[in-house]
Amino acid sequence: MEKKFTSEKEWSVAMRINHWAMAISIFILIATGFCIAEPFTIASGETVDKFLMGNIRYAHILFGVFLVFLFLWRIYLAFFSRFHADWKDFFAWTDIKTTIDQIKFYLLIKKEGPEYKTLYGPMQSLAYTGLMFMVFVIVITGLILMGAGYHAGFTAIAYKILRPVEKIMGGLSVVRYVHHIFTWFFILFIVAHIYMAFWYDAILKKGTVSSMISGNIFKKLK
Amino acid sequence: MAKGKSSEYKKMIDTQYRDLMKHCQVHMEKIEKDLPEPREDFLAVLKERGVSRRDFIKWTSAMTAALMLPPMFRPMVAKAAENFSRLPIIWLHFAECTGCSEAFLRSSYPNVDNILLETISLEYHETLMAASGYQAEQNLEKAVKDFSGKFICVIEGGIPRGLHGKYLTLGPKGKTGIEVAKEVAKKAAAVLCIGTCSSFGGVQAASPNPTDAVSVKKAIGVSTVNIAGCPPNAVNFTGTLLHYLMFGALPALDNLGRPIWAYGKRIHDYCERRPHFDASEFVEEWGDQGALKGWCLYKMGCKGPYTYANCGKVRFNDGISWPIMAGHGCIGCTEADFWDTMAPYEKPLPDKIYGGGEKTVDNIGIALTGVAVAGVAAHAVASGIRHKGE
Repeated sequence: MEKKFTSEKEWSVAMRINHWAMAISIFILIATGFCIAEPFTIASGETVDKFLMGNIRYAHILFGVFLVFLFLWRIYLAFFSRFHADWKDFFAWTDIKTTIDQIKFYLLIKKEGPEYKTLYGPMQSLAYTGLMFMVFVIVITGLILMGAGYHAGFTAIAYKILRPVEKIMGGLSVVRYVHHIFTWFFILFIVAHIYMAFWYDAILKKGTVSSMISGNIFKKLK
Repeated sequence: MAKGKSSEYKKMIDTQYRDLMKHCQVHMEKIEKDLPEPREDFLAVLKERGVSRRDFIKWTSAMTAALMLPPMFRPMVAKAAENFSRLPIIWLHFAECTGCSEAFLRSSYPNVDNILLETISLEYHETLMAASGYQAEQNLEKAVKDFSGKFICVIEGGIPRGLHGKYLTLGPKGKTGIEVAKEVAKKAAAVLCIGTCSSFGGVQAASPNPTDAVSVKKAIGVSTVNIAGCPPNAVNFTGTLLHYLMFGALPALDNLGRPIWAYGKRIHDYCERRPHFDASEFVEEWGDQGALKGWCLYKMGCKGPYTYANCGKVRFNDGISWPIMAGHGCIGCTEADFWDTMAPYEKPLPDKIYGGGEKTVDNIGIALTGVAVAGVAAHAVASGIRHKGE
């Protein structure tokens, strides 16, 4: 049988580990975050035996700090990855004509998407730039909220640096509110992101979903 | 190794405190020379009011600890308290409710703090003085002239800037708040803002702020010490003045101008109900079992986690109680613009509602997520039809 597809490496190991670690962290952070915003009450038992809220907050802070370092690692990869430093690809949306064609493709007006040489499509790059901004905001507000309660080590240093940011934002309550709002942006991103991954897989048959695990994407042979 | 280091550290701290002590002694002598004699003998006043020497010594220990000084400063705190009434004070009122003055003056069991505030050398206080009209104006001018550069200007109340400040006019000459504040603050040794109004604008600065009321700092552009709170604790005020008397300098301030010794940690960090927070024991509605057991008020809208203050430590009314102990959550009154940023007061922060509707950010989030899911489902079906057979 004639070979129709070829397999090509798209994602480095570091990028894939970073992706899934971030995904797991974000899911845990959203779940624990809502548990902190609207906590459960355990009515039975003695106070001394219970520590649910403490444990939830511990998990939230632990994965929050993970997210900080994963974010820093992702920024590092964007500039210094030996496989493919993709910082330029985040600006694929600046090519207006391709962007409009891509939107037409997404809205099913056109049957074929435009060709682009960048790693991300124009709309994809816009979404990921937004995601990076969201992670940045949620990490900064998270560090402020964490630093307000702990006064030693990494947290204390981060808080000392970020205290002016807290003042500019208008106090801890505003910081907390922004933190809460951005959680919803993450949820909306996740819905779109997962759907688009499957949609690409179904329409273009490039193996988009598995590429984030295997690292390889299929290309049609011409 | 570690032991040697800690002893070295101890030595360093010891010398630092000894230097500070020397500085303090020199300053106290200078004050005794410079400032007028105390009007009343403080120890005699204490005796008269039924506060024993023993109580006074206990108070000095507590105050020394509150100011984060080591015990060797106790005699200096006592000395500063005796010299407290030497410090001339001009107390100005602007847009406010006088609640802060009331809170300081009207305690049923006055402790040393309250007696200190009663013996204070008040050169001018609109609520308390007998003079009125032109006579009052004269008193103010005389006090500013006599104690120029030496007096402490205490300001209660925010300053409206709208209509060139004409939303607030005072006295027989109809001066605006901004004018009075500028005249007095210019000659003051330090400006102390009492309460959230003068510190951050307060209730009249709440949205939509029709009079454009702002903090004293913003209105006249001087640096102030903000004793925030609605009302603040008398301890925080006396402590700051004692610090000034002892060292001739104002205490270290945080980025909102509040003394760090009093506003360095959050309500949440000191709260006696904190263990219930970590144990997931929350009051779900007023008067339920949790409320009877004194559980955490986080779900009833307590703003303790966002509020820097020492209420839980020093408490109010001679240390009898404080809001969270009494069963209502903190409303965050020591924070800037708390009328807007801390609302709603009896619900958690994310329950803030938008527009005329009853929509919280979570309602909007759920609706948007629903729309997104429905949207991608519709898109999936449409894609199935459009790209059929590929």
